[in-house]
Amino acid sequence: MSYRLQRMPVAAPSVLFAARVLSVILALLTAAVVLALSGKDPVALGGKVLSSTFGSSFGLEDLSLLFSPLLYCGLAVAVGLRIGAWNIGAEGQFNLGAFAATGVALFVPGPTWLLVPLMALTGMAGGALWILIPTLAKAYADVSELITTLLMNFVALLLVYWVATGPWLDPSGMALATTARLSVSVPYVWGIVHWGLPVALMLAIGLAVMFAYTRWGYEVRIGGGNPGAAAYAGMPVQRHVIIVMLMSGAIAGLGGMMEVAGTVGRLQGGISNNYGYLGIMVAVLARAAPLGVIATAFFMAVILNGGIVLQSQGLTTHTVLAVTGLILFYAAIADEVARYRLIPTTGKVTPKGAR
Amino acid sequence: MSEDSIQQRLGLASGTPPLVALKGVSKYFPGVVANEDVDLAVYPGEIHALLGENGAGKSTLMNMLTGIYHMDAGEIIMDGESRRFASPLDAIAAGIGMVHQHFKLVKAFTVAENIHLGWNATPARISRKALEERTMNLADTLGLAVKPGAVVADLSTGEQQRVEILRVLARDAKVLILDEPTAVLTPSEARDLFAALRAFVARGNAVIFISHKLDEVMEISNRVSILRAGRKVATEWTTDCSEKSLAQLMVGREIVFNDMRGDGGARKIGVPMVTLEDVTLSSEYGTVLKNVSLSVRAGEILGIAGVAGNGQRELTYVLSGLVAPSKGTVTLDGEDVGRAGARAFAQKGVGHIPEDRLYAGMAPTLSITDNAVLREYTMPPLSNGPWYAPRRALALACEIAKIAGVMVPDFAMPARNLSGGNQQRLVARREMRIADKVLIAAYPSRGLDVGAINTMMRYFVEMRDRGVAVVLISEELEEVLNLADRIAVMFHGEIMGVVAAQGADIEQIGLMMGGQRQQGQAA
Repeated sequence: MSYRLQRMPVAAPSVLFAARVLSVILALLTAAVVLALSGKDPVALGGKVLSSTFGSSFGLEDLSLLFSPLLYCGLAVAVGLRIGAWNIGAEGQFNLGAFAATGVALFVPGPTWLLVPLMALTGMAGGALWILIPTLAKAYADVSELITTLLMNFVALLLVYWVATGPWLDPSGMALATTARLSVSVPYVWGIVHWGLPVALMLAIGLAVMFAYTRWGYEVRIGGGNPGAAAYAGMPVQRHVIIVMLMSGAIAGLGGMMEVAGTVGRLQGGISNNYGYLGIMVAVLARAAPLGVIATAFFMAVILNGGIVLQSQGLTTHTVLAVTGLILFYAAIADEVARYRLIPTTGKVTPKGAR
Repeated sequence: MSEDSIQQRLGLASGTPPLVALKGVSKYFPGVVANEDVDLAVYPGEIHALLGENGAGKSTLMNMLTGIYHMDAGEIIMDGESRRFASPLDAIAAGIGMVHQHFKLVKAFTVAENIHLGWNATPARISRKALEERTMNLADTLGLAVKPGAVVADLSTGEQQRVEILRVLARDAKVLILDEPTAVLTPSEARDLFAALRAFVARGNAVIFISHKLDEVMEISNRVSILRAGRKVATEWTTDCSEKSLAQLMVGREIVFNDMRGDGGARKIGVPMVTLEDVTLSSEYGTVLKNVSLSVRAGEILGIAGVAGNGQRELTYVLSGLVAPSKGTVTLDGEDVGRAGARAFAQKGVGHIPEDRLYAGMAPTLSITDNAVLREYTMPPLSNGPWYAPRRALALACEIAKIAGVMVPDFAMPARNLSGGNQQRLVARREMRIADKVLIAAYPSRGLDVGAINTMMRYFVEMRDRGVAVVLISEELEEVLNLADRIAVMFHGEIMGVVAAQGADIEQIGLMMGGQRQQGQAA
């Protein structure tokens, strides 16, 4: 009996998942082979990464602190993709969110229970503001958001560097390039893990429900799938584009607020730590599904954390970057391969599509 | 049909091998047999028609012959050898060329540039003048008159098609495949095309002619092969066939073409459901509708005739609320709705089968479920307040697919994986469900085969008998004449006149399509 390959229009979720797992294993194997060839012991290194990430509560807490911003940025990019917009600017919106929240913490007096929500709101507003111009340009003039959101990143990054080393520099003279320690911070839920993480998880679930079970979610899906069809059905496409993109910016901004007021405690240049760009990868790997983002963001956090451990073992950051690249590469192949099925050629296929 | 008789009847020496032969060709797609065990032989000097319903496997078969798809079983035989085409380039090198329904020309380039693009016989350095001269020579030798210096975008569809054919023939094609070539042509352009094809096969070449139009197949082809559900059911000499017998072979049942108006005027036509009064629409390209006044009554079918691009598209936009008129009023069942928007129109019972379903009526990358519920996602039971129920949406999608007669292996599958005919059926059924008052059908039979067109027309009659006002826009005058109660003719965004379809003077309609105003009294 001979077999032939047949491409299916949709892949079964179980097959897709298995293919993804396989792609990660292959990426790690490839990395291991390269490490072995360069004289390192990949098994020992791998064991070190696993034990220091999952072997102690400190490791898990560190992991959670990486997980949280990746969730926000992944969700921000995923939300944009739903309406067909590539938000490359989560990095900038994250910075702006951190900047706006810091402004509130530094200059508005008040109790924590009032200030934290206020900071969250201003953080979201900051993120939304940073995507406002690309949004309006896209909605009204059909300007590609890919370029505009990207370019806004550099402005935001430099703005934060400037305030942290200039006007808002810690007046105590103890710090060279950060603001003073914020007077309020996001409360902890476990060890050094603050409310940023549970809020992000709830946000992911909430978004998943909104996209699957509301009319709004359906309209956004149609608008992202084919704006012409959305207009034909009388949906306010332009309004949806604007709302969804501002939401995307606001989510990234909230991530920035949580980072500055929960994890770091001070505003400093480069606070976004490339989370905005990694968020693109997180969202793409999750195929813009909010619940998928939980899994891919966690996975990315493990990789980043592993990278920190590896650096302590004398490897460069490039190794980690190479591993992330390999995973993306294999995942892209796996997604395609998962659509193929082996079919015995001797059996007859019933003509389902024929009338 | 023994081999000798084929060669004899084509006037070939006995023992002449076919230019190309397919043997036992099969191709499977998920859950679908696209082609199975198809044999086809094309001899020098013949025009071989390939006939079949939508999804019968004509395009798949030709895509294998031109190297776009790879066959799962079977072989292609040329010059007594089995050939494998790894890519379209191999097929072209072997002398098989195809002209697709949608032209593959660079519109901003000149005719000469298009002919020479991606062709290894094109000299690496050549002046514009020399290039145009080469093109002229090619055109002369091959008997296809083109203007080498003209920019393709400025040419008519018929001229563009000629460029496309010249490009294929210039690469020494021996077998020319044409996919529904006359769909885009005027009758006189079609005549020119037929003459060119006859001259081409007279030089010992062959043409494979894919078409839905039975009269054309009868006129142009020597032999005809009929595909049904992926299999070849027959190859016949065209002279032994009639339009009726071909239609029967194609759909496997007899089709009755008749006057669907039925009871000849005894039917009750009600009050106007939708009325346009002095509607003018201006766009950035100028005035596209000018002082259009039109009324469609409950229980009647109004046909809109005219050469495509004379404002029909814009008229459907105004009638379905997609755009508001710049001037004038739109009244739906006694209510002024000029600016109400597409959603309000749909909710008030206006269904719209759009001209271009892939760009307007569907989201091809989304699931079949998402596409099927596009009109009813706001209504119960799918929606309750802001909520949307995916399971109920799936149930509704199943229901619509079932009445539409579309087999769907997986409702989560992107809609683009459905064949064009099935997409059209799904959209039509979806729109008919909401069309309580008005149904606007723009070119509903485009891309459908005889059987499917017949079914679609019966739907419209059904709707009409239910008291719906039906607007039928079509480029097939015969279709409009058979079905409509009245016919409005459009030219340059204006209504040239409205005539009763029964006993209509075709000559007069033709003149109005060409821009002459109606003489005498209106119907």
